[in-house]
Amino acid sequence: MFQMNRTLTYKAIILSWLEIKEFLITLGNIGQDFSNVLKYLLTFKIKTKEVIEQGKRFAYDSLPISLTIVGMTSAIIAMQLAPELAKQGAGDYTGMLSSLVMIRELAVVMSGFAIISMVGSSFASEIASMSVTEQISAMKVLGVDPIEYLIVPRFIAGFIFMPVIFVISALFGLVCAGLVSNWTADLSILNYITSLWHGLYIRDIFIAILKSSFFGATIALISCSCGYAARGGAKEVGLATTKAVVWSFVAIAIWDFVFASVFYL
Amino acid sequence: MSLIIKNLTKSFNSKKVLNNISFEVQNGQTLGVVGFSGSGKSTLLKIISGILYKDSGEIIIPDNSEIAMTFQYSALFDFLNVYDNIAFPLVERKEFRGKYTNEEISKIVKERLELVGLSGIEDKYPSELSGGMQKRVGFARAIVTNPNIILYDEPTAGLDPVTSTLIEDYIVQLKKELNAACVVVTHQLSTIKRAVDYVIMLYQGNIVFKGTVNELLAGTNEYARQFVSASIHGPMNIASK
Repeated sequence: MFQMNRTLTYKAIILSWLEIKEFLITLGNIGQDFSNVLKYLLTFKIKTKEVIEQGKRFAYDSLPISLTIVGMTSAIIAMQLAPELAKQGAGDYTGMLSSLVMIRELAVVMSGFAIISMVGSSFASEIASMSVTEQISAMKVLGVDPIEYLIVPRFIAGFIFMPVIFVISALFGLVCAGLVSNWTADLSILNYITSLWHGLYIRDIFIAILKSSFFGATIALISCSCGYAARGGAKEVGLATTKAVVWSFVAIAIWDFVFASVFYL
Repeated sequence: MSLIIKNLTKSFNSKKVLNNISFEVQNGQTLGVVGFSGSGKSTLLKIISGILYKDSGEIIIPDNSEIAMTFQYSALFDFLNVYDNIAFPLVERKEFRGKYTNEEISKIVKERLELVGLSGIEDKYPSELSGGMQKRVGFARAIVTNPNIILYDEPTAGLDPVTSTLIEDYIVQLKKELNAACVVVTHQLSTIKRAVDYVIMLYQGNIVFKGTVNELLAGTNEYARQFVSASIHGPMNIASK
């Protein structure tokens, strides 16, 4: 019995160590890829055509899902909030609270989730598939750095185009919240629009745009890096995609906390 | 001398994949590298081409050498059509950016496609091509920069005998046209007979046979004999892999 417990403990230690090792390797890969990306950014030689092509995937392909998620979330919040506030005689604050929650947090985080599921997973699987089919190796032999060709344009596209998604989604979310408030609590649209600005400062908008840029660049970097590190076959493509999605979710949560701490604490 | 390998060693997780490998390939010659799967043949090519780092040893090539490599499964960029695949290094490589006009690139791509007998497929995507055609497009892409060292990783694997013969002819033709030093990793005896000048055989990371194609086919040592006769009895134990 004692022997069996000891064996199980050893196994648990080994498994934990393997998990820690895997974590550190992934972190190291992302860090290394980021430093290589920075190296290219500092040369200011940007492949505009590729950036626009990748930007289309951010801003255009993921727009429907982003609008759906942000629109639904804001509608649900308004559905819960507006009747209660109206009962307390504070219905005019619905717009203020909606704008506060949407602009500061929900729109950017929710559109980040949409981007992870739509664009991040696609980046990771695409690059992982290139890696396991030796396309990345071929690129290296042909004298083209895959970091410059594949990762840098996606990183820049994430940084530039994620705010576009955020702004459109946030506006759509506020419209949805307004319509739902009017429908569920009979609040006037005009009052809703007027009160929107009571909870919102220009500073909040700039912070949210900056945050969305950081989210976009982080999602692109993590997704590309996880795909780039994939070796083996079809199974590894799946694992790389899963890893990219999980790491991107965690990274977004951490960035959100950092932004909240720095700007609102 | 175009390519000299001296005492090349490579290990993966303490397992020695290549152990003190040395050989030379001159311009206009083709070296065949044979051996069991997992004997380190592809690793050798990946080290020469710069995809993998060596642990120790030397790879001596003349200054300004251009190394090209073709891959077992072609490794064509599936998001680009045939034209863009072949033009890729001319357009994207730092040294070549802006060096060629679009007309010049178009002319080079057409020439290379003609060289591998595939004119008129510029607009097709890799998924629309057969395995043999993909290999030939891979060849065209590899030689677009006029390499003086060409590495072929299993060029005829998975192809029918007729297409294999075609590919072998192209290997000989490209060697002559470019006067390149070529290294061909293969399992196929037909490729060795038709496209290779001399052969090394790898087993457990060591060179166990070095000689001409005729010496290999004559089975001048027990390793060559076992390989040529495709026998499971001999010094190379498959189970020990």
